[in-house]
Formats: sequence, C-alpha cells, structure tokens
Amino acid sequence: MTTPVKIVIVDDHPMVAEGIQAILESYDDIEVLCALKTGREIVEQVDRLNPDVILMDLNMPDIGGLTATEMILESRPDTRILILSMHDSPEYISSALSHGAKGYVLKDVPTDEIKNAIDTVMRGDRYLCTGAQGSLQPADDGQREQLTGREQTVLLQLAQGKSNKEVAIALDISVRTVETHRKNIKRKLGISSTAGLTRYAMEHGVLQGTSARL
Amino acid sequence: MFNLRQIFRPSYAQKLFLLATVPLVVSMVMIAVLVAHQSRSFADREIQALEQRMLDAKKEELRNYVTQARNGFYFIYGLAAPDDDEAKERVSQILSAMIYGKDGFFFVYDYDGNNLVSPRQTDYIGRNWSGLTDSQGTPVVDQFIALARQGAGYHEFLWEKPSTGEEAQMVAYVLGLQDWQWAIGTGVFIDDVNASVAAARAEVETRVQRTLYNIGVITFASLMLVFISGMALNIRERRLADAKLKELTQRVFDAQEEERGRVARELHDGISQILVGVRYALDSARRRLSAQQDQRGLEMLDRGITNLSGAIQEVRRISRDLRPGVLDDLGLGPAVKSLTQDFSARTGIDAKFTTVVFRNRLDQESKIALYRIAQEALTNIERHSGATEVSVDLRGHRTGATLRIWDNGRGIPQSKQDESGKGGMGLRNMQERIEQLEGTLTISSGKNGTLIEAIVPLSHLLSPEDTETPKKAAE
Repeated sequence: MTTPVKIVIVDDHPMVAEGIQAILESYDDIEVLCALKTGREIVEQVDRLNPDVILMDLNMPDIGGLTATEMILESRPDTRILILSMHDSPEYISSALSHGAKGYVLKDVPTDEIKNAIDTVMRGDRYLCTGAQGSLQPADDGQREQLTGREQTVLLQLAQGKSNKEVAIALDISVRTVETHRKNIKRKLGISSTAGLTRYAMEHGVLQGTSARL
Repeated sequence: MFNLRQIFRPSYAQKLFLLATVPLVVSMVMIAVLVAHQSRSFADREIQALEQRMLDAKKEELRNYVTQARNGFYFIYGLAAPDDDEAKERVSQILSAMIYGKDGFFFVYDYDGNNLVSPRQTDYIGRNWSGLTDSQGTPVVDQFIALARQGAGYHEFLWEKPSTGEEAQMVAYVLGLQDWQWAIGTGVFIDDVNASVAAARAEVETRVQRTLYNIGVITFASLMLVFISGMALNIRERRLADAKLKELTQRVFDAQEEERGRVARELHDGISQILVGVRYALDSARRRLSAQQDQRGLEMLDRGITNLSGAIQEVRRISRDLRPGVLDDLGLGPAVKSLTQDFSARTGIDAKFTTVVFRNRLDQESKIALYRIAQEALTNIERHSGATEVSVDLRGHRTGATLRIWDNGRGIPQSKQDESGKGGMGLRNMQERIEQLEGTLTISSGKNGTLIEAIVPLSHLLSPEDTETPKKAAE
C-alpha cells in the first residue's frame, strides 16, 4: 500500500466521529480527510474531497444516509460507501445495499472490523458485518428487491407519462441516470414495458394521489 | 318502597325530563278543571235565566189569553145571576170554541171539581175530577180550584198532550169566577222550553269538552316538544361525548406513541452514540496499552469493553421495543417484515411476509396504527392460537392499503369477539386504532384459523409529491 486510502466520515454524533477518526488515524494506510456532520455536507463536498471510501451514518438531521448514498452514486457511481449504523435489523442492511452501499457495519463491533470492512470494499467486495447478532444477512430471502426512494420517485414520474428527459429535468439529474434507474426498476419489478410500469403504479395505489390531475 | 326505588332509579336526564313535564302536566290539568268548572257554572246561570225568561213569556201569554177570554164573555157573566144556567151554557159554548194552536184550549171546572168545558178532551166533560193527580202525584184540579178561590194563579203539572197522547210538562193559568164558582183557565205545554234548555246544556257541554280536548292536545304537543327536544339534546350530547371520547383515545395513542418514539430516539441517538463514542475511546486506549505490554491493564480494559458492549446492546433492545427505528427510517413494509421475522425466530412458528415494493406511501398515523395492529395480532397468535403457520401481507391498492394477518390456529372464541371490551383488550385496541383512521377491521375466525384484515382508506395515502424525498428519519 503506497498511497493511503482517503476516507471521509459522515456522522452527526461528534463522539462517534472523533472516536472513529482517532482509531483510523492509527493505521498508516488510512488517511481521514475530514469528518462531516450531515448528509447534505457530503453531497455538496464529495466532488471536492474525492474520497475513496465514505463512512456514512444512517440517521442524520437533513439528508439521511441512504438518500445521501443514492445521490452521491448518481454522479459518482464508483464511490465506495460503507454504512456505519447502530441499527441491527436485516432490513437496514438490505435497504443499504439496494441504495447502492458497498457495505454495512455496526457501530459497536470491535474497531478492527471497521478497518477490515474498509479493506474489503477497497478490494471491490461487499462487506456485511458479522455483528453482535452473529451473521447479519440482508433480508432478501428470494423476494423481489425493494425500490429505493429515488427509484420510486422516478417510477412515479415515468408512470405519469413523462419522457426520460423530462424526468431528468424534473429531478435535476442526468438522462443517463434516469435510464439507469429505469433499468433497475424494470429489473426489480420484473416488468418490461413502460405501460406495464404505469399499470403497476395504478394497481398498487401509487398513482391515486395524482390521478385527478392526470 | 325500598324495592320501588331499586327498580325505578331515574337517570339525570330522566329527572330533568320529569322536572320539565310534571309541572306542565299538573298546571294544564288545573287549567282544564278550572276552565270546565267556570264555563259550566257560567252557562248554568245563562240557561237558568233563559228558562226563566221563556217561562215568564209563556205565563204572560197565558194570562193574556185568559184575560182576553174573560173579556169576551164578561158581558154575559156580568149580567147573569149565579144560577143562570142559560148564561153558563152560553159562556161554556164560547169557551169551547176558543181552541188555538196545536194543543191549546180552555177548560172550566166548578168548585166541586166537575169538568164543564174541555173541547179537546171531551171525555172529561161532566165528570168529577176532584182528587186528580198527575203521574208524579201533583194535585191538578184541586189546585185549580184552590187558585180560583184565591182569584187567579199559575200551576205546573204533567198533562197528556191532546195531539199525541204523551204526557208533558204543562203550565196553566187559572182564574176564578166567584159568582158561578167556576175555575176557568188555559194551559200550554212547556216541554219545548225544557227541550231548548237541554239543547243549550248539551251545547255548553260539547263546548266544554272541545275546550278540554284542545287543552289536552296542547298539553300533549308540549310534552312531545319537550320530549323530542330532550331526545335531540341527548343525541347531540351523546354524539359530542362520543367524538370527545374518540379524540381522547386518539390523544392517548398519540401521546403514547410520541413518548415511546421520543424515549426510543433519545436512547438510540443520545445514549447509544455516547456509549459507542466511549467504546471507541477505550479501543484507542487499548491499542496504546497493548504497545506497552501491560497485560493486567489490558485484561481490565477488555472486561470493561465487553460490559460496555453489553450495555450498548441492551439500550438498543429497549429502544427497538419501544419504537422500531425501521418503522420511521424505512417504512411500514420493512418494519412489519422485521416484526414477522423476529416473531418467527422467537416462536418457531413458520411466518411468511409478502408485500408490494412501494413504501413511505402511508402517513405517519397509519403506519404506526398498522404496525401496532400487526404487533398485537402476532402477540395474540403467539399466546392463544396454537398456530403453526402465519402469513402477513401488506399492500397498497386503488382504495387504500390493506394489512392481512392469517394464522391456522384454533380461532378466536366467539365470546371474546363479542365482548371485546372485557375479553380481548387487544382486539378492542386494534378496533380503536383503525377506527381513528376511519378504516375497517374485519376479523373472521373459525376452527381452521383466523384472518384479521385492516384496511386504511385512500385518504391516508400520501400523494406522490409528498414522497419525492422520502423522509429518512430527520434526526
């Protein structure tokens, strides 16, 4: 390891952020760029900081960790994001993964594991923490994956009959990103046509709120 | 008396009703009695006066007839001697001819009681009638003679009507011709007077009765008015009370949820994070110590770190029991899913969860209510059902969102379903929570299992605009 791994910590609890920073700084191959307090800060500064790995808390004041993850990945799909959380429910893990996070680590694991997780995602693998409950597995168990909030938003726009370009303008993202979302939605729902998406949205009550205006 | 009180124990509303109606009824009855009495006595006086006037008129008339008749034959009587039979015969003939009206005639008796003139009832003539009484025992002819001896006078008695043969009240005026020892007179029947008096009385009576009837109707109408307005008031009060109760229930739920959520967040975001921070600090310290090879110090620190980890997990458990973070952070679907999996792991009952992949579409109240209903239902299944299989399904649709919880247990006993107030606090709770949302809760239970279906109406589904940036636990 010639160049150290550049890391940004995002956590609104100063004691936690400082603690992790202190531990990580004791490793020679890790460089902590800074510790940020909110999701908005990392979304705004990610391009300037250009970190290799982001350690992201879930619950934060303005933008939560999952939304921040999704927003960062829209513009920087190669960023490795590790969710660092107190929650040990499998739902959080599967939700983190479906939002594009590369790993999920519980905050109260031995600190070696955090280093371990960083190394794992740097190698390009996923890291799921072994955690206090033993093995935490994502709660997929054969079911269809959940749509992320962003994907749901995109689906609603598409179901209203908007084109990729219109959706991109409405949500202030690139057309490419919309296409990616669209692909993921179709894959997750197992639906191939836009008409099918609209029907699905209608049948499950997602469009009712807007149907009067359609 | 004691028993009566036991049986009739009026409620406050009934007391009020009685208080309003009893005086009304009493005063109405008093008014009715008073009115009836007054109008009757007034009418009595009127009728008596009328009767008197009519009788007086008749008597006057009779006197005029007799005076007229006497003037008609006075030129004979005045010139004749007391024993002039020819003169008597002529006067008798004159009087016999003076019949009038339907029943009017003149009669003559001598002072011995012999009838001399009776043109309409000729079989009376020539016979002695002293001692004759009417059907009620009133002396008739004797009284005529007595009046005649005194000069003149009126007499009332019952007499057979010449026209019909019926007996009727008659008044007669008798004049005495002292020289001849004659009592001459004429009578009129006064049954018409009696008839008009009776008619007048009857009319008064109908008037009184109509008045009483009117008072009765007014009383009844007032009673009905009091009763109906009382009922309306009562219904309104009850409705208000119901609404208040509902509001109170909601507030209890809200307060409970809010408090739980607050404590859970405090624990999770405050204490937990501080403990984790402490733990990181201890970890750092441990690194330094391990560099110095202080074995005893390391052991003590390790023990401390282990205990701290235990504390962190404990706080996490308490926080989650109070209010699962999944519900607020990830939405109802993941929360119920987590609940189902925990349930399955804890009880060993095979539990499946299915849903459609949308989320964060329900408002906060509905999410909490449905989550608590699922929790309650699973607790019931664990405690009572003896089920081996459970399925939980949650989905949105065109009319709202539906949560279905099915198990293959022994079902809910009918008694518990009926009086959900006593037996199943849980069922009642579910019912109340869903009622707050104006949704419906259906419980179908049989020997082969139970299906609980909670439906939240569309009004509790947020419009897509509100969910564009899903609220990822703001704090």
